[in-house]
Amino acid sequence: MADKNESFETKDFGWLVAMSLLFLALVAVCFWLEFRTEWGPYQRQFPQLLGHYGKGQEARDFQPGIQQIWIPKIGVTDRCITCHLGYEWSSVLPATIAEPLTPHPTNDWMTKHEFAKFGCTPCHGGDGAATTVAGAHQGGRGWEDPMLSNALAQQNGLAMNGMIEMRCNFCHRHDAATPGMDEINLAKVLFKKKKCLLCHVVEGRGGATGPELTYEGDRNPELLNFAHVTGDHTMFNWNVQHLTKASAVSPKTAMPDFNFKPEESRALTLLLMSWRRLTYPPEYIPDPEVAAAAMQPSPTSTVTPTPSATPVAH
Amino acid sequence: MDGDRRKILRFIGKGSVLAAFLAQIGAAGRAFFPNVLYEPPSRFKLKKPDDYPDGYTLDEAHRLYVIKQKDAFHVISAICTHLGCNVQWRDTEFDCPCHGSRFRPDGTVIGGPAPRPLDWFATTVSPDGYLEVDSAKDVARDFQLVIGGNGKA
Amino acid sequence: MGAKFKALWRKTSWAWSPESDRESSEAIVKNFWLHWFPAKVARASMDWNYSFWLGTASASLLMILTVTGLMLMFFYVPSTERAYGSIKDLQYAVSFGRILRNQHRWAAEGMVAVVYIHMARVFFTGAYRGTRAINWVAGVVLFLVTLFLSFTGYLLPWDQLAFWAITVGTSIAKQAPFVGPTIQFLLLGGHEIGQQTLLRFYVLHVFFLPVLVWILFAYHMWRVRKDGGLAAVEGIRNARVMVPKATPKTKSYSLFGLTPGTSVAVMSSTGLEESDQVFSSPNMSRRIALVFLVVFNITLLAAILFNAPLEGLANPSVTPNPAKAPWYFVWLQELVASTTVRFGGYTVSGALLGGILLPGFLLAVLTAWPWLDRSPIRAQGRWLAPERKRQNMTFAIATLAIIILIMVGVYLRGPYWRIYWPGQPRPETPRLY
Repeated sequence: MADKNESFETKDFGWLVAMSLLFLALVAVCFWLEFRTEWGPYQRQFPQLLGHYGKGQEARDFQPGIQQIWIPKIGVTDRCITCHLGYEWSSVLPATIAEPLTPHPTNDWMTKHEFAKFGCTPCHGGDGAATTVAGAHQGGRGWEDPMLSNALAQQNGLAMNGMIEMRCNFCHRHDAATPGMDEINLAKVLFKKKKCLLCHVVEGRGGATGPELTYEGDRNPELLNFAHVTGDHTMFNWNVQHLTKASAVSPKTAMPDFNFKPEESRALTLLLMSWRRLTYPPEYIPDPEVAAAAMQPSPTSTVTPTPSATPVAH
Repeated sequence: MDGDRRKILRFIGKGSVLAAFLAQIGAAGRAFFPNVLYEPPSRFKLKKPDDYPDGYTLDEAHRLYVIKQKDAFHVISAICTHLGCNVQWRDTEFDCPCHGSRFRPDGTVIGGPAPRPLDWFATTVSPDGYLEVDSAKDVARDFQLVIGGNGKA
Repeated sequence: MGAKFKALWRKTSWAWSPESDRESSEAIVKNFWLHWFPAKVARASMDWNYSFWLGTASASLLMILTVTGLMLMFFYVPSTERAYGSIKDLQYAVSFGRILRNQHRWAAEGMVAVVYIHMARVFFTGAYRGTRAINWVAGVVLFLVTLFLSFTGYLLPWDQLAFWAITVGTSIAKQAPFVGPTIQFLLLGGHEIGQQTLLRFYVLHVFFLPVLVWILFAYHMWRVRKDGGLAAVEGIRNARVMVPKATPKTKSYSLFGLTPGTSVAVMSSTGLEESDQVFSSPNMSRRIALVFLVVFNITLLAAILFNAPLEGLANPSVTPNPAKAPWYFVWLQELVASTTVRFGGYTVSGALLGGILLPGFLLAVLTAWPWLDRSPIRAQGRWLAPERKRQNMTFAIATLAIIILIMVGVYLRGPYWRIYWPGQPRPETPRLY
């Protein structure tokens, strides 16, 4: 009897020990992953940086961990600042510090769009909830906006700030022109000049020959026909090519070929894609007259941005 | 005699407990059928007829296509008759992303698993001049709402 | 010190000490953890190559799912507005939350697979004859509840997959004759998918279905014991013929005094002999611990390596293209997509044929199989018994068909559910920028 029991013991015992060790090892890996975060190194580096620039007290007060800007009324939960720790330290840290610790440039519009009121993603896009670079910058599978990075802007033939203007116009859509928003300002001029409202309804005004454009930015790229679009299948590309030569993208369309210059098509695309349903409360929506007054010194449509207090290369 | 009375009383007792228990189960079950729904009504208004361009216009919120040909309107459901996914208008036909059903421009089936054509919804013009759709009412496949010059049906 | 501690441990964990072998085996029955097992178990049941311990693996997965699921309940909010955000928080902001959710997800997918393979094992060994037929039915129900648990589970993140799976799933229910629309209304809590729907599926997922699984699991285990253990032992019983035992060397006493030879022949029984069995504890309990550890390690490793899928936030106005079910439901998706039949003016929707009638028929046949099986009883408890060749082929072909459908659905289907062969270019998925 006893020897037979032992046969099972000898068969299983080694495996049992091996599996127990593997169990311990895997749990150890879990702990290692938990403490080896992507943001960990930056959070160790940051207090040293503060100390280096003479902010010893702040460096000592620094509390490591996931940091977030939470603004429930506009649905913002932005954990970007878990890595981008220098964001509000432009008065102390030089702009030459490498990302992600680079301070956010301060300029005229930054004083009107403070972090506590806007967070990060309303301007930059991306997934604010994520605490990994891939998750935050590219977003998940689906329809979340990817972050408007330099690389993404370059792919679309634009500068990053130009691309971000699209998101500025979520709130600034009723400004005739806004200081600093060159792309959108150009598009707004073109939109008037080419009389788009003859055929398209926007906010209840305009003709109904073409589709309504009030919420064009909410249209889903899945619903566009990419059969005649060259290059990447992006809504941006579709709009640029459609604006340049509508007949090439939608053969049956009634829209004339405007033969816009590439930069004009891109600007108009930004304008179209900026027209989204907004859920921001009224205090966030700027008065168009304020923008108009700010535009007074330079009445031309092309705008010279107000020089910022501490000019920073961006 | 005493035994009979006991029998009857026992029967009544057991019977009432059983009946009350069944009624309770019924009451609990009934609660799962909501009496009020937080849903839009099946009859709703769209935009004014003049606000629609010629051709197929998707109304994403109501999951339907408004089709305008000159002065004639009809409304086709964008909900696939197979298993309820949203069909997409692709210039020449409707296609379904879930199980590959295909429909002609009038909603009749070309291929795929869809058992019947896409619904045509009863469409009228409301007294205040909006297109009004009743998604509970299916109409014949030659239904057209013709709007006169003055915007009246 | 060590001895004192040992004595203290005995005092706290045992109310009594065994003084004989018999009492030792009774000790197992009196221990809370060990009373699940019989005192002794057949060596044949312990064999890796007979059962592959798939039932134990399924139970291990159920245990893992229950514990991880209870943990997840502390973080998940069953509201259409907050469900998606709470999953994002688990993924990114809760300590070990990513591992927790991943392990729950991979254990769930693993359980669907392992429970099916367990069922296949029982089928291929013909282990559902006689009194075990009832337990086979319990097993089929357990498999079905496992599938429903998976279905209700992947709806909870309220992403695109969730939304369109409910749309398709409840639309299939709607196709049921007569009661279909009522069932759909009941499941959705209305005509459209909304907060009520999420809450109903949530309560089903975290309470009713798990309770049902645990009750059925307890019954399943109880039946295994009452039916005499695994069917492997029946094989031993069948193989054993009544043979006289070797004549004992002792002398035999008869009424007439001492006589040579034996007067009463002692035959061996057809029951299990002492030599066929081993004590359950520690042999079986040790092996159960080993299987649990293996399963736990596999799910934990998967949780470390792969993130559970999470699509975009649920959007009723856009169906993803293509909208694919998880792999274990893709074969059903293939069926509903390809079984619409048209003859003359009549059309039978694939939703009814492929979504309800065909799976219903398969399920009915599966449930009734123990009573359809007419093979000789000696075919039970053996792998691929030649007497059951045709039956085993039927099951294997059905399984293969399901696997092929899953492969087609997972690898070949592209946008608009069209077939794209390997190497054939697929249309790019449109993006914003």
